[in-house]
Amino acid sequence: MSSMDPTEAFRQEASELFETLEGALLDLGLRPDDRELVDSAFRALHTIKGSGAMFGFDRVAAFTHEFETAFELVRKGEIKPTQELIAVALAAKDYIRALIEAPDSADSIIGDAILDDLKRFVSPTAQVLPVGSNADIPPVSESRPAGWQLRLEFESHILRNGSNPIDLLDDLCKLGPCFVVPLTDGVPLLDELEPEDCYLKWDVTLHGACDKAAIDDVFMFVQDEMKLTLAQVERAAPVLAMPIADVELAAPPAPAPTAASVPAAAEPAAPSERKREEPRRTEERGIATVRVQAERLDELMDRVGELVIAQARLSQLAAVGSDLSIKMIAEEIERLAASLRDTTMGARMVPIGSLFGRFRRLVHDLSRDLGKPVEFVTSGEDTELDKTMIECLADPLVHLIRNAIDHGIEDTETRAAAGKTEQGRIELQAIHSGAQVLVTVKDNGGGLNTARIRAKAEELIAPGAAMSDHEIHQFLFHPGFSTAQTISALSGRGVGMDVVKRTIENMRGSIDLSTKAGEGTTVTLRLPLTLAIIEGLLIRVGEGRYIIPLPAVEECVELTAEDERSRGRNFLNVRGNLVPFLRLRDILDVPGAPGQHQKTIIISTGETRVGLVADQIIGNHQTVIKSLSKLHSDVTIFSGATILGDGTAALILDVAQLVALAQSRAEKQQMSEAA
Amino acid sequence: MATDQQHGAGAVQDGSMQVVMIGLGDEKFALDAGLVREIIDPVPATKVAGARSFVPSVINVRGNVIPLADLRIRFGMPQTEDSADTRIVVIEVGIDDEPVLVGVTADKVYEVTEISRTDVQHTPRVGMHWKPEFIRFITKWREEFVIVPNMERILN
Repeated sequence: MSSMDPTEAFRQEASELFETLEGALLDLGLRPDDRELVDSAFRALHTIKGSGAMFGFDRVAAFTHEFETAFELVRKGEIKPTQELIAVALAAKDYIRALIEAPDSADSIIGDAILDDLKRFVSPTAQVLPVGSNADIPPVSESRPAGWQLRLEFESHILRNGSNPIDLLDDLCKLGPCFVVPLTDGVPLLDELEPEDCYLKWDVTLHGACDKAAIDDVFMFVQDEMKLTLAQVERAAPVLAMPIADVELAAPPAPAPTAASVPAAAEPAAPSERKREEPRRTEERGIATVRVQAERLDELMDRVGELVIAQARLSQLAAVGSDLSIKMIAEEIERLAASLRDTTMGARMVPIGSLFGRFRRLVHDLSRDLGKPVEFVTSGEDTELDKTMIECLADPLVHLIRNAIDHGIEDTETRAAAGKTEQGRIELQAIHSGAQVLVTVKDNGGGLNTARIRAKAEELIAPGAAMSDHEIHQFLFHPGFSTAQTISALSGRGVGMDVVKRTIENMRGSIDLSTKAGEGTTVTLRLPLTLAIIEGLLIRVGEGRYIIPLPAVEECVELTAEDERSRGRNFLNVRGNLVPFLRLRDILDVPGAPGQHQKTIIISTGETRVGLVADQIIGNHQTVIKSLSKLHSDVTIFSGATILGDGTAALILDVAQLVALAQSRAEKQQMSEAA
Repeated sequence: MATDQQHGAGAVQDGSMQVVMIGLGDEKFALDAGLVREIIDPVPATKVAGARSFVPSVINVRGNVIPLADLRIRFGMPQTEDSADTRIVVIEVGIDDEPVLVGVTADKVYEVTEISRTDVQHTPRVGMHWKPEFIRFITKWREEFVIVPNMERILN
């Protein structure tokens, strides 16, 4: 971290803040009265402004400042955030992001236009305040206090943290005319004076109809390091009334004159802001977080993987020998390695909520562009997934959500005709299910048009072939398959679902589709918890040992003599169901005759079940996954490799590929039998 | 890596090049020392069904699963049994612009030595039972012809 470019650090921090800001703005659209949301948006803005100035993003700081100013009335609760206002605010957020990420391409004309829009939305509604006059001249309304009496006592080390009380006083002055009296009774004799300590206290009389929250905001980042005494003043003391000269904007960006001579530094103390932001946001002061580079976590995971392998070898050795003390140490190390592995994996886990947040904007924008009102509901944001998987999931989910809005949800008239609510509904849900995480995208639209998919599919297959609805729907995952009659900007090009499927399968996940005409479609993504380690079933085929990912295994059955006799038919009777099976000896090119007691492992992806015939089932194996090199990228039946207890490499069978292979063989067989 | 290969070629132009001399069957090959990561004793290999014949298996090298290439197959030479001299030379080559670790079986590893540019021979068109594109050049070492193979071509 120490070697990290500070500008890069700012970018990273800013991108997190943008997520917070966007989330807050979108929520505000739903719950315009929620003060907490306004505050959280402001906190994010404020930090972006402060850090931006500190790292030399002056345009960011300047624009954000204007944005804040224009939004000030919302914060004061004097105007309600309307949908239009939220849309402009989102545009402003995008512009700030552009300023940070690609400052050269962000034209300031756009920024000005956004600000104009903002001001236009803000001003006409702000009837209480005549535009162009000072918003803070009391009395604005009866219910507000005439002013505040404050005493500020900072802890002596406050300056060392980079906070500057003078800046805070400046900010305070922006809330209204202030009368500031420094209290010098704490200042020691010169001999005892620490130049870096703060000895002064201040008494401030603030004239202005501001909220207590506004005052709290000023001290938001230092509130742990100071004592703030607040009292309301009912009537302004005549002595303290200061003339207000030149404050012109609806909200006051310029520092108001003060009695104490305070240097006019507009920017608040940035370093302390940065320190305070994290705990403020999570409101969990007890939990400290450390930001670690992802590569380091990956490295750690690799080391732990090697440790697990070495430990397995040690256990094997200890089990063979007769030395009791070695056995005890081996068990101890096994326990330690297991908990170390769990902890390391835990460190890579991220709640999926960070991903869900991004889609709210997508839904918001799509719903507006397509003129289909859509309610977006998420649940299970706390569900944790491996960090790398969360990144891989973003694109597939964008596709699924776009599809749901563009194709799934009907337009308003159709919905009305079908007796549905005008507003469509999309649910994004994540839940744990055993060793898997299920992510579902569910819409309450019209459902899949099976007939149309079939018609289109018949360009690829023989017309009139007997297919279940489930099989027909699988055509949606064919590359280039699209039933959309028109190609819109959003979808209809036929690329998408096949990419979704491939991405999910690359993560060793699977995808299920279920639909009900008129009621909607549900797409379920089944994902393993992590990419790094899986539970596997270790099997033997000939001399070789292979791993089958355990989540895919349904059951193991003996290959009966009857099944054995049905050579060439390759179907297995599992409690009355015909299940196609593959002889792994054939697939893996093992010469010689199979042994006597062949075992069949029934694996499944979604609804499809396939049997794999192996020579022996050895047992469970905790597997650290190593990918195969590019030299073996042409081999599709293995998804990776792992290292066994004796140090040899074993290959992991790719379940999806084997199922596809078995099915295509079974289909061919059925066709040749039919012919 | 590709850059290593280029450095090696540059070194030849300057006059000399560090190589690891290995024996395969009756032939001697000089592997650019810049590519070689380590030389290990043979370890049990795991066959990869369906892989191309010159990369038939994978091995575990320090917790990494890496492919084991057999140059003898690529050069159409007869297979030999492992002997006490057999070693695996782990090299790093660029495959699709990505560095990949590959183990190469050698019947014998002789030494790390320098070969000189002045000894470079042009690849003869006749009398060769392997493809010329697999060979960077042929040089002389201790009065014997040795082949400097182009590992990237061979493995791609």
